[in-house]
Amino acid sequence: MSYSLLAGGKRVRPILCIASCELVGGQESTAMPAACAVEMIHTMTLMHDDLPFMANDDLQHGKPTSHKVFGEDVAVLVGDALLLFAFEHIAIAIKGVPSERIVRVISELAKCVGAEGLIGCQVVDICSQGKSDVGLDLLEFIHIHKTAALLKGSAVLGAILGAANDQEVAKLRKFARCIGLLFQVVDDILDVTKSSQQLGQTAGKDLLADKSTYPKLIGIEK
Amino acid sequence: MVFSTVITSSPHLYFPKTTVPIIQRAIRTCSASLSTDQQRISTSQFDLKTYWTTLIQEINHKLDEAIPVQYPQKIYEAMRYSVLAKGAKRAPPVMCVAACELFGGHRLAAFPTACALEMVHAASLIHDDLPCMDDDPSRRGQPSNHTTFGVDMAILAGDALFPLGFRHIVSHTPTDLVPETHLLKVIAEIARAVGSTGMAAGQFLDLEGGPNAVDFVQEKKYGEMGECSAVCGGLLAGASDEEIQRLRRYGRAVGVLYQVVDDMLEAKMDKEIHKDKKKNTGKSYVAAYGVEKAMEVAEDLRAQAKKELDGLEKYGEKVVPLYSFVDYAADRGFGVGDEVE
Repeated sequence: MSYSLLAGGKRVRPILCIASCELVGGQESTAMPAACAVEMIHTMTLMHDDLPFMANDDLQHGKPTSHKVFGEDVAVLVGDALLLFAFEHIAIAIKGVPSERIVRVISELAKCVGAEGLIGCQVVDICSQGKSDVGLDLLEFIHIHKTAALLKGSAVLGAILGAANDQEVAKLRKFARCIGLLFQVVDDILDVTKSSQQLGQTAGKDLLADKSTYPKLIGIEK
Repeated sequence: MVFSTVITSSPHLYFPKTTVPIIQRAIRTCSASLSTDQQRISTSQFDLKTYWTTLIQEINHKLDEAIPVQYPQKIYEAMRYSVLAKGAKRAPPVMCVAACELFGGHRLAAFPTACALEMVHAASLIHDDLPCMDDDPSRRGQPSNHTTFGVDMAILAGDALFPLGFRHIVSHTPTDLVPETHLLKVIAEIARAVGSTGMAAGQFLDLEGGPNAVDFVQEKKYGEMGECSAVCGGLLAGASDEEIQRLRRYGRAVGVLYQVVDDMLEAKMDKEIHKDKKKNTGKSYVAAYGVEKAMEVAEDLRAQAKKELDGLEKYGEKVVPLYSFVDYAADRGFGVGDEVE
């Protein structure tokens, strides 16, 4: 678990969570367990995504991925353990927040991770690989969910913990959604234009897997 | 033995819970346990089979509703395939409901958690069966999830069932019956039981640990689920800390007892058919200790489990389902849920 969680990485999601909390008047310490939880979830999705029978990336953050170091069986188990621990951590480590709000946080996180969120998107991604008729709509759907889901979740968790009202939560959700899409578009462009070393990931893999990406569909310029 | 409660500022103060696994204690204290049925509530009138099969129907119905097929269909089909498998006996939900009712809780309060236990249980089984893990081609009388849907979908189905379980607890438990503080304890308990110090640890050692790990593996893989189910029921009903600890020890004993007896039945079947079972050898209790010892241990676990319920006599008749469960685990007096492997 340590190897993957502490392997590097920009910690964008935790930062978004904390910043969101502070923006609406909350404290960093309140949001910290949730911030850690979203990073654990992010790590586990990468770990499972990287398994040979999924997207297959042997490099992540510049280091060999877990399954190469520890074996596939451990990578599956560790991913599960991180996923579960994220929820456990939120359930027991958040201080100074009424239980009703923590319960809402659990619900939000579960929604953004599960079959209606991140995982659902991975399914769509897998099912649409190799297909030539993937339109922009579907592409946007995949991208929104894949990257934006957890970013949205991070922002929303932070907002809830900071005692934001419903409107504020909705605004932050929208903000994070845009950021998420932005991230993904730029990611796709970089995959095509940069080398493995600069990226810390294996470059060119999207084309190899015949995935639908923005550059492929509408060209780099656009 | 001092336990910390589940909610603590240092999350892992409660580990390791026991320094000596439950089976080793059972072997050491293996004196003949008196049948204390004279002292205890008679369970001869209680119809566990009807209680159980009625509950199974309710749980199945709720699980069906909890996982509707929607876009993207494939993942929901994969999730439903494993969760709604006909061979499932639903022992965790039944234990949860019985434990909740024992302390005066309403079963409506317990159903969402009971369903979540099944989802989470199914998720671990899906992952356990993967080729890179136990590599099981079948489960509960049907081809395993990855055989039907592919390894990638199986992994994702398992991954999706964990958060769905938690979400189901939160969205479906009536807050007038269960305060949110209790819900958080339940969620923490399930996460702990299935996670890195619980079942996942058991599975890891099952795959990578040496032959002497069998006691630990048994306790972690099977004891944890039993323990978790019973404890969740108690938490929902607002049982006291001391009562929760009793449920914990009870659940763990029953979980392991169930598996020891399963191992014995399997060993018996193998002997009769001279079949070469590919499954999970080495970490079978019988394979490690022999049938004689296994029987002794089973009897001792039976006594241990019942002893824990002894302290709950003030609840009278309500303790009977959990009590009967122990005898069922040991004797298997009837078939439940299309009983298949």
